[in-house]
This record gives sequence, structure tokens and C-alpha cells, in this order.
Amino acid sequence: MLRMSFSGLAERWQLFVGATLSVCLGVALVQSSLLLLISAATLDPPAGLSPAERLHFSDSAEASVALLGVTLGFSTFLAVFIISSTFAFTVAQRRRDLALLRLVGGGRRHVRRLLVGEALLLGLIGTATGVPAGVAVMALQTRLLVGFGFVPDGFTGQWRGWILGASAGVGLGLALAGVLVAARRAARVRPLDALREPDAGRVMTAGRWLTGMFFAAGTVALIILAPVGGAAGGQALTMNVSLCAAVALSLLAPVLVPAVARLIPAAGVTGMLARANLRDEVRRSAATAAPLIVLIGVVFGQVGASASFAAAGVAEQRRGTAADLVVETTGPGFPAVAGVASFSSETETPVRITTGRGDTADTLIESALVVEPAAFERAHPGSGSLQALRGNAVAGGPARERFSRGDTVTAHFAGTDHTLPVVAEVPATIGGGAALLVPVGLLPAEQLAEAPTRTFVTLAPGADTARVTAALSEVGTVTGVDDWLRADAEARTSTSDNIMLIVLGLGGLYALIGVVNAVVIAAAARGREFAAARATGLTRPQVLRAALLESSAVTVIGVFLGALAAAGTYLAVLATTSAVTGTATLDLPWSLMAVLAVGAFLVTGLTSLLTSWSATRAAPVSLLGARE
Amino acid sequence: MTTTPTPTTTAVALRGVSRGYGRGATAVRAVDDVDVEFRRGTWTAVMGPSGSGKSTLLHLAAGLERADSGRVLLGDTDITAASDNELTALRRTRIGFVFQSFNLIGSLSAEQNVALPLRLARRRPGRAQVRQALDAVGLGDRARHRPRELSGGQQQRVAIARAMVTAPEVLFADEPTGALDSTAARTVLDLLRAMADRGQSIVMVTHDPAAAARADGVLFLRDGRLVDHLAGAGAREVADRLVALER
Repeated sequence: MLRMSFSGLAERWQLFVGATLSVCLGVALVQSSLLLLISAATLDPPAGLSPAERLHFSDSAEASVALLGVTLGFSTFLAVFIISSTFAFTVAQRRRDLALLRLVGGGRRHVRRLLVGEALLLGLIGTATGVPAGVAVMALQTRLLVGFGFVPDGFTGQWRGWILGASAGVGLGLALAGVLVAARRAARVRPLDALREPDAGRVMTAGRWLTGMFFAAGTVALIILAPVGGAAGGQALTMNVSLCAAVALSLLAPVLVPAVARLIPAAGVTGMLARANLRDEVRRSAATAAPLIVLIGVVFGQVGASASFAAAGVAEQRRGTAADLVVETTGPGFPAVAGVASFSSETETPVRITTGRGDTADTLIESALVVEPAAFERAHPGSGSLQALRGNAVAGGPARERFSRGDTVTAHFAGTDHTLPVVAEVPATIGGGAALLVPVGLLPAEQLAEAPTRTFVTLAPGADTARVTAALSEVGTVTGVDDWLRADAEARTSTSDNIMLIVLGLGGLYALIGVVNAVVIAAAARGREFAAARATGLTRPQVLRAALLESSAVTVIGVFLGALAAAGTYLAVLATTSAVTGTATLDLPWSLMAVLAVGAFLVTGLTSLLTSWSATRAAPVSLLGARE
Repeated sequence: MTTTPTPTTTAVALRGVSRGYGRGATAVRAVDDVDVEFRRGTWTAVMGPSGSGKSTLLHLAAGLERADSGRVLLGDTDITAASDNELTALRRTRIGFVFQSFNLIGSLSAEQNVALPLRLARRRPGRAQVRQALDAVGLGDRARHRPRELSGGQQQRVAIARAMVTAPEVLFADEPTGALDSTAARTVLDLLRAMADRGQSIVMVTHDPAAAARADGVLFLRDGRLVDHLAGAGAREVADRLVALER
């Protein structure tokens, strides 16, 4: 049986190269993300740091753990989806081979064993190549992380021995899981199918309907829940909408593809042929569209959501700031300057906070803002009353997640634990910020000595802006509030772009390779079909044109359904921003989305041309004569 | 040889077998209440115009399709309601197939193709046994060739060797010469004749009167019903009978 596996591999190399590549890259991506996540989570601060510097270091390490956690989740999702769908497709493409095996006396058990044997072999090759590829991917991801400042300088991904086991589990496990479901179905192939034109079989099984509807229902549930989830929870739920919707749509693609294909104009003989092929070969069309739906859905959804949340954060910041100038200094304290009517000095510092008690106790480093409550209220309209914020009390900041008014938290500073009541809270924001507002005088001065301080200055009526600015320049960096808001907006957008690049960059590339894979696998089995078309009187260019038209149509459908999945995320974005900030915000990076859509067309078009060109190289008669 | 001699003289029997396709207005009765016995040790050809149901008859007799009604017997075994596993086991041991499209596995050598049914039956394929099967079809020197390196006639002979390696009770052949030129066809027919003379039961569907004339008897089918029978007829007589049917 293994001999047959081996020789089967040689015969249908495109199928197997595609499947192996999907395993190799999936393993590489998951391995790299996992190693980086572990490295960031176990990162020790370098020796010789002051306590404040150590806190800063841990704070930035915690942020990178969160970022890498999302990257790992996303890589795993893609690996599961692409590997399992590629393997299922390769099985579907070999229906006739398997029927032949049944015809000469192969039992269902044999078919299953053959397919599982192949999956093991391909999974093994994919894992063996994926592990070294993962080392290269890790070097690349580390450079991105360091370059964008998401990890402390000198951060390196560390190799762990056990990762070999984890990667083997990912590669072999996913290959096997992908094949097991498909193999059960394939084993039911009737021997007689070997004598007929390979019948696609029923594509939409009850199981597929059920799973598809399950994910569709999940999508709707996420859209409904997102605005209820609060600022942080809502954003996290929103990001998952397009993942869920893309899976639902790719499962339901066999129903949707022919429906959308009807909209494509059937002009000329090539148009007619392409349209007929699309509707007839539902499995092939759906399998080619699936990775595209996921790629477009996820990337459109994520970058759209990220840009919209950044825009909502900017608008929120603008509404919540009432000042003329912003002064940036180091350490607390702000001098009295003539012409200044009022100012709110805000010093930001990380604090180690424990919430909950006993088993549920949870310690994290949170960002605290040292404020003068009355001044803060004036400089930030809409923040509510902070009158109770004095002495040993604290208030919930705009980015609090783990506590609210009425709770107590334990803060660790000046060498001991302090139990502090949360007596007030400001409205939560989309854009984040500090988790905790602390009154002046609570934290020890030496912790704040090096902390960045931002002071919002309101000028006295009739004061000369230039003169006050000049006077304040002695203290720190002075910026007009409009310029400061603009720079803040740019910084937020750039951070959100960089995060998207780290989370989606390599994953998107992987999904794109999945698309190429599907096109190549689909064309690999079409030699005879092309030959028949040419024997009927079509010229080679006409056949190529029909194939190109067909792949463009599948791309249109894939991009359309992907955009539909992303639209689910946009709905959730509108609901969430409306619930949190009061204004529904949607801001889409059109140029990036256009580049991706055009790129998808180029890639599928070129791949389809190349594969159909190579499939039509031989004279048609030589392919039609004998079946083998 | 694992076949045990059975007392009956019938290799395959169909009793009141019907098989239809489609529903409502498009319904077709491909095989309509057919009673037929294929005798052990004889070569029977089944002929008829296109769409007369001859391939369906063959598939029903071989257990590749299920009858809507009636019974199918292979020797003493009633295979009408056999499970998929039972039918699979039958294909491995008691039934051999040869088709118009040779249906060899392209990635395997001639030798490996021939050994496949034995391997599937978990019998260690003896080198000699495989070689003998290939020698019997005159291809002992082509054992290591892939199907695509062989001519059509040679591929069909490999397919016959593959069907015969398990020493089946019945060999089913569907247009075995349909894709071959006349010289290659003659070689294949000579081979089948020699097998039948040694006592092999063969059921063959064909279009070709010359092929049918080599069989011991010819059955004629029209519109799913058995309409005629000839024994020991020549090609001319078979052709005339066929033309008369198509009129």
C-alpha cells in the first residue's frame, strides 16, 4: 500500500507539492509565532535596571505577549483552514483513481488507509521542511517586531527542544485531520465511477450545510454581541466576525458560486464555456474560491476594523480634549506661567496591580495616570465627576478592563502592597489609554522621576499665545492642541498599521500561496478536458482564454464573498463604535484593499494561464487516445 | 487456486432482474425483467444496439450495480443483497473485470498492476504467480513498463492478466476490443478464446460482430429485454442478426 502511495505521489505531483507546501508553510508560521510568544512571555529584564525601568520593561513585554498571542491565533486559524481544505481538495480530485482501486477489489478500508498513509507521508515531509522554514520565518518576524518597537531591543526568538513535537503535531495532526473527513467520504466512492466521467459527487453534504450554518449563526451572534462587549471586548469580538463569516461563506461556497456565476455575462464561445464550467464543476470552483474568501475576508475585515477603531479613537480624543497647548515634560510638577488660565498635568507610569482574591487573584502591569482630579475634569470634558478621587482612592481609567467603581485593587509600589478603593471612573474609550487614574501624592516621587508627563494648558482670555508658548518652551516641548491631536492620530494609525503588518503580513502571504495552490491543483486534472475542447475545434488560445476567464470569474466571486465576510466585521465595527463613543465610525483603507484585490486577480490569472498553458502543451490527440 | 468447485453448471444467473434510471417522464428501464443463465466454462457475448441495456446487464451480473428487482446469483451465491464489503471481497477473489478503457493505474508498472488484486486480498503476491499471469498474455518481458509505455493492445493484455491473476470464476469484459486496432483486437480475442477453451467462464459485451463470433454463444438485447440467442454463429450471421434488430 505504501508503494502505491509513493507511486501515486510521483504521478500527481502538483497535488502533492501543493499539499506539502501548505503543511510546510503552516508549520513554519505556527512554530515561529509560538516560539516568539514563549520567548516574549519568559523574557527576563536585563540586569542593572532601576525598579521603574524594570516595570517599563515588563509592561512592554506584556504588550508584546498580547500581540504575539493574536498572531499565533491567526496563524493557527490559517494553518487549520488552508491545510485541511487543501487536503480535502486533493482527495476530491482523485475520485477516479480511488474508484479504480475499488474496482480491482480494494475495500473502503484500503481507500482510507491509502489516503491516511499519504497524508502521513506529506505531513511528515511538510513538517520536516517546515521546521527549518520556521526558523527563517522567526528571524523575519523578529526583525519586524524589533523594527516597530513592539519588543525591547535585543529581543531574540529562542529555540525550544519541545517545539519539534509541537510542530510535528501541527503538521501531521492537521494533515491527518484534513484527510480523515475527506477519506471517509472518498471511501464511499462506487467502483463504477471509475468507468464514467469522474462524477464530482454531492458537494453540499448535510454535514457541510450544518457546519456552514453553524458558522453563519456564529457570525450573527458575534455582530450582536460586539457592541455589548465594551470597548476592549467589543473590539476583540469584532475582529473575529470576519474569520467566522469567511469560514461560513467558504463552506457554503458550492451553493453561492453557481448563483454568482449566473451574473457573469456569457459572451462568445469562451464566455459560454467558462460559465458552463463554473456551474458544472462546483467543487473545483468552490475549492479555488475558499482560500480567497478567507484571505480577502480576513484582511479586509481586520485592516478595516483596525483603521476604523483608530479613527474612532482619534475622534474621541478630539472630543475629550479642551485645551490650547500641550506641553510634554519628564517627571511631575508644572510651574506657574503668566497667561495660563488652567492646566492639567498628567504623568503616566506603569503599576503592578492585583485584582480579585485567592484563586481568582490576577496580577498584571497596568498603566496609571497621575492626575489633579479637578484639573483633569476641566481639560477632558465628559469625563464625569472625580470629586471622590483623593488620598488613598483611585479611579477607573478609560482602558480599565478588570475592575470598576466599588471594587478594591491592590497596587504594589514603594516596596509594599497598598489596598486602594476604586471610587470613580471615567467613560471607557475605544482608543485606550490608562487603566487607572491616581491622585497626585499617592505614588512615590522617585517612581515618577523619569515618567513622561503631558500637560494640557488652557490660556487665559486675551493671553498672547506666542509669549506663553515661548515661556513654556523653557519647561518642555510645546505643541498647539490641533497639531498635537494630528500627530497623536498619525501615531495611532501607524501603530495600528504596524500591528496589522505583524499579525497579517506573513499569514496573508500564506493564504495567497493557498490560493495559488488551489488554482494549480484544480488545473492539474484538466489535461483531458482541455484536449477534448481542442479536439472539438477550439484553438489553444481559446482554451487558455476560457480557463483565464473562468479563473477570473472565480476570483471575482472569491473577492465578492470575502468582501461580504468583511462587511460582517464592518457592521460590528459600526455597532461597537456607536455603543462606546456614541458615533458610528467606519474608515476603510481603500487603496490597500484595492491593491490586494488587484493582486489577487494578477496572481490567480497568471497561475491559471501558466498551468493551463502547460496542460495544453501536448497535442490533444495524445491525451485523448488512451486513458492512462 | 482458491475456488472450490460448485455442483451447479451455472456461472452467473439473473432471475427476473430489472433496473431503471431516472424518475417520472425521464424514467428509463435499462434492463427489463431479464432471465438469463451464463453457463460455466463458456464464453457468452452480449450484443445489442446502443442503449439496449447491455452494459447495465453486465454491471448487474458483476455486482457493480444493484437490481431494482429480481435476483442475481454468482454460482451458488445470491449477491442481490450483498453488502459493500461482501461485493469487494467478491471482486478480489471470484470476479475479474476487463474494460474498453483499460483502467490500469498509471503510476504502477505492469507487474504492480497485476499484483494489486492479490495485495488488496492480503495475499503475498508470489513473483512467479504474477510473472505467470503476464506470460500468459505474452507480456512477460514488459513487467516493469508503465502503462503509458505500452501500446493499447498491450495495456489491454495487462488488464486481462490483472483480471486473471486471482483465477476468478467469471471474467466480465465490457467492449474489450473497443479501443483497439484490428491486429491488437485479434490478439486479445485469441487470448480470451484460449482461456475459454481451458474452461474459463467469460461474459463479454461487444459491438463488434467479429468479436462476438469468437464466443460460444451470443445473446441479443433490445430495449432492456432479451430478444434472441445464437450459438456457434459466424461473424456474418451475427452481423445480419444485429442489423435486423436495429431496423
